[in-house]
Amino acid sequence: LNRVLGALVAALLGLGGCGNNPYPGADDAEKVRYKALPGALKTLDPAVSYVTTEHEITANVYETLLGYHYLKRPYELIPALALEVPRPRDLPGGRVAYRFRLRPGALYGEDPAFGHFEPGATTREVVAADVAFSLQRIADPAVTSPVSTTFAKLEGFSEFDEQYASAGGISGVRVLGPHELEIVLAEPYPQILYWFAMPFTAPVPWEAVAFYDGQEGRDFFKDHPVGAGPFRIGYYDRRSRISLERNPNWYGARHPEWKAPAAVYPAEGEPGDAAAGHLDPAYVGRPLPFLDRVEYRIEKEDIPTFNKFLQGYYDAAGIIQESFDAIVSEGALSPAMAALGMKLEKSVEPSIYYLGFNMNDPTLGSPAGERGRLLRQAMSLAVDSVEFSRVFLNGRGVPAQSLLPPGIFGYEAEYRNPFRQPDLARARNLLREAGYPDGVDPKTGRPLRLSFDLGDASSGGRLRALFFANAWKRLGLDVEISATDFNQFQDKVRRGAHQIYIWGWIADYPDPENFLFLLWGPMSGSKSRGPNNANFADPRFDTLFLEMKDRPNDARRLELIREMRAIVEHERPWIELFHRESYALYHAWMRNVKPAGLSLPSAKYADVDPALRKRLREEWNRPVVWPAYAIAGLVVVLVVPGIVTFLRERQ
Amino acid sequence: VLAYLVRRLAYGAVTVLGVLLLLFFLFFLYTTPEDMARRALGDKTPPEVIQTWIVNHGYDRPRVWNPADPGRTLIADHFRRMLSFDFGRSDADDSPILDRLREGAIPSLTVTLPLFVAGLAVAISVSLFVAYFRETYIDRAGVVLCVLGMSVSILLYIIGGQFLLGRLLRWFPISGFDPSPVVLARFLAIPWLIGLLSGLGGDVRFYRTVFVEETGRDYVRTARAKGCGDGRIMTRHVLRNAMIPILTRVVVAIPFLFTGSLLLESFFGIPGLGSITVDALHGNDFATLRVMVFIGALLFVLAQIATDFAYTLVDPRVRLE
Repeated sequence: LNRVLGALVAALLGLGGCGNNPYPGADDAEKVRYKALPGALKTLDPAVSYVTTEHEITANVYETLLGYHYLKRPYELIPALALEVPRPRDLPGGRVAYRFRLRPGALYGEDPAFGHFEPGATTREVVAADVAFSLQRIADPAVTSPVSTTFAKLEGFSEFDEQYASAGGISGVRVLGPHELEIVLAEPYPQILYWFAMPFTAPVPWEAVAFYDGQEGRDFFKDHPVGAGPFRIGYYDRRSRISLERNPNWYGARHPEWKAPAAVYPAEGEPGDAAAGHLDPAYVGRPLPFLDRVEYRIEKEDIPTFNKFLQGYYDAAGIIQESFDAIVSEGALSPAMAALGMKLEKSVEPSIYYLGFNMNDPTLGSPAGERGRLLRQAMSLAVDSVEFSRVFLNGRGVPAQSLLPPGIFGYEAEYRNPFRQPDLARARNLLREAGYPDGVDPKTGRPLRLSFDLGDASSGGRLRALFFANAWKRLGLDVEISATDFNQFQDKVRRGAHQIYIWGWIADYPDPENFLFLLWGPMSGSKSRGPNNANFADPRFDTLFLEMKDRPNDARRLELIREMRAIVEHERPWIELFHRESYALYHAWMRNVKPAGLSLPSAKYADVDPALRKRLREEWNRPVVWPAYAIAGLVVVLVVPGIVTFLRERQ
Repeated sequence: VLAYLVRRLAYGAVTVLGVLLLLFFLFFLYTTPEDMARRALGDKTPPEVIQTWIVNHGYDRPRVWNPADPGRTLIADHFRRMLSFDFGRSDADDSPILDRLREGAIPSLTVTLPLFVAGLAVAISVSLFVAYFRETYIDRAGVVLCVLGMSVSILLYIIGGQFLLGRLLRWFPISGFDPSPVVLARFLAIPWLIGLLSGLGGDVRFYRTVFVEETGRDYVRTARAKGCGDGRIMTRHVLRNAMIPILTRVVVAIPFLFTGSLLLESFFGIPGLGSITVDALHGNDFATLRVMVFIGALLFVLAQIATDFAYTLVDPRVRLE
């Protein structure tokens, strides 16, 4: 009987292999990295996609002109398809030009689209006109690129809409030769270079856009990327599985002798990288990439994803709320997890979460003059962001002292904002000075009534807002939470009808300008629908901003940033809360993984040790067979005597 | 019969139109075109681009009332498209919705169809078994287990099943999907088992009641008096006479085979129609959502009519007037 049962269980388990391994093919001979993506991908069109999970694919398939240094922080631009990072050239009328020289001989990944227009062709060279084409696609309203306003600084960009019909180009984008491209900006904007390290501007072959039109059984271009990057699509089912494989046409693979900066593993990093194992001599200077394939699976739910990570079927994972305390204890890996050989990598995202005051408000804002300022300062002193991040984020937040997060030029770790160290006694004094002793408004004789406008009607959102309302209640202030959906909230902000609000910002690129512009007067939300929702307008701050934004990262720029920081410190249009921190877990077999807050193409740097992975996976996932016998036995024991008894009785 | 069919179809059409109308108002009560655009393009999208999206997707038209051109409203377009089966493109990613339905139908059916057949077979055999042993400890144990099984939430079945079978016993992959028939069963083993177990309690309770009622009838006594064996009575006579309630329950379940299972598909990473619906809900994708609701309503109404016709097949006494 035992043997029969054993055979049955084996047959059940043996449906195409044994045990819980979700990958049918063998993966110990190849270097494969496994990653989970949290939802179906919408588009892989580089001009449109603005989501981290999609950049995970596009950033590896499309090659950009520039890239980021993999290890250095603050982030540093390096040339990729371009031969060097271009320098600005001033033109008359305050215009600025950048000239990109492209690497000759770089090819696109093989694709049938090329053969359709030139019989026999499977690829072609990347030329400057392709970059111009990408920029035109961003300008094309039919493409609906979410970054079109950023590129409006290019000369003639906004007029492209009309020129489109007459087949003209963008006047500020000049193709000077097959490998030379010049862009002209109507005003200085040095940060434009960062956009050339993002997939939006990556060269795209027009053949692919023309060929993949969704007609006659052909794919749509957004589902069929054709780029010049280190990987290409091997399999694409955007709702279930995506597989990237090495692109043999990538310039780094075809010409390792070029030792192009974005095609070899870096030899230097930031302090601490060597100790963290990011500068392993076995990798330094070697041509990229190390992986043969990257396998992505769409996993909508956190719990199964995390369980599969624990079994070794994903190489890395974030930490789910439900298991946080089992995984992390006192900011480090718990002993049980450390025993599995895992590593915990923390990284601070280039982000800022803050409470804002509407500076046009008669009670809280500049119309209230000195009283308003003292009130804002007092309210700032009452908010404890360490406690907030402990309660709501499992401590995954660096308390913010200013707008600028770590990793951004101008961030100074030793800086302490005097109004961001919780101090209720001092806050009460300031409140009395403001004319609201114990929070009481002398006009009404009752606690001063303020409104916290929340664009999140969920119970979680309310709970977070309640945390702040309670903090201010301790000063005697009566802050009412007015929660609406995000649209109504945005409408309030547009009309300037908000008082206190909570907001977050994640940088597009690692430059202080991308943070400080959030308080620049002309960006006011109520006036110009810009992102300065606090409607902060300080003439000195605005002047300093204009000088700061176009400067290189030098001593003068730091000086300007310090002065702006001091203005914000004193004026308190914001209560800076925290910079979000992400915790990532990596298994022992992962090599060269350094988390970055920005989405940059990391697949080419990473490596795995497949032998170690195989051994650990087998150790962790041996099927437990005895319960199958037990269940079968139980059924027999329960049912057979019943039948026997019943039949006997009926006789 | 024809008159009956026409009447039922007319009722059905009214129901479907009502569902479409309700969906339209509920959806736009809850969300706005700006919100849809922001979901499709990302939170940081500037207002100008949001406007372009709204115009490109036709959501700049008045919703219900347009005095200048009464046909040019969102609601008119909504009904025009649905009634002519012109499903159009998804609001979330501009893919043709018909393609999405085609892609999603197979994974959904691979989950639901075997589950449906096996679930029916198991539920009927178990209920025949417990009905036969009624009033014994087997029957009572069955009641306890069924009520227990019915009371537990499907979410617990899913998480518990993944934990037990995937994580502790390590028999099957926790989640995933692969259309290749060699490995398909490995991925679907847990969802099948969970679907089977979670549905079994209610089904067995229902069918048992039906069978017990039938076994108390005169024809059963007559059959027994004539010397008919127990097994034959249960499978030949009782089962056949219980077909009407069984059919009612079964045929109505058929439309849901196509619409897929929302939770099972989400948790097991099965790229079926259920997860398309969930994505559409999360992404404010009106174009996809309305197609899923429309098809669901249509199939449901058709299944109800089909049930009526099936009655005449299993019971000649039933007439459709």
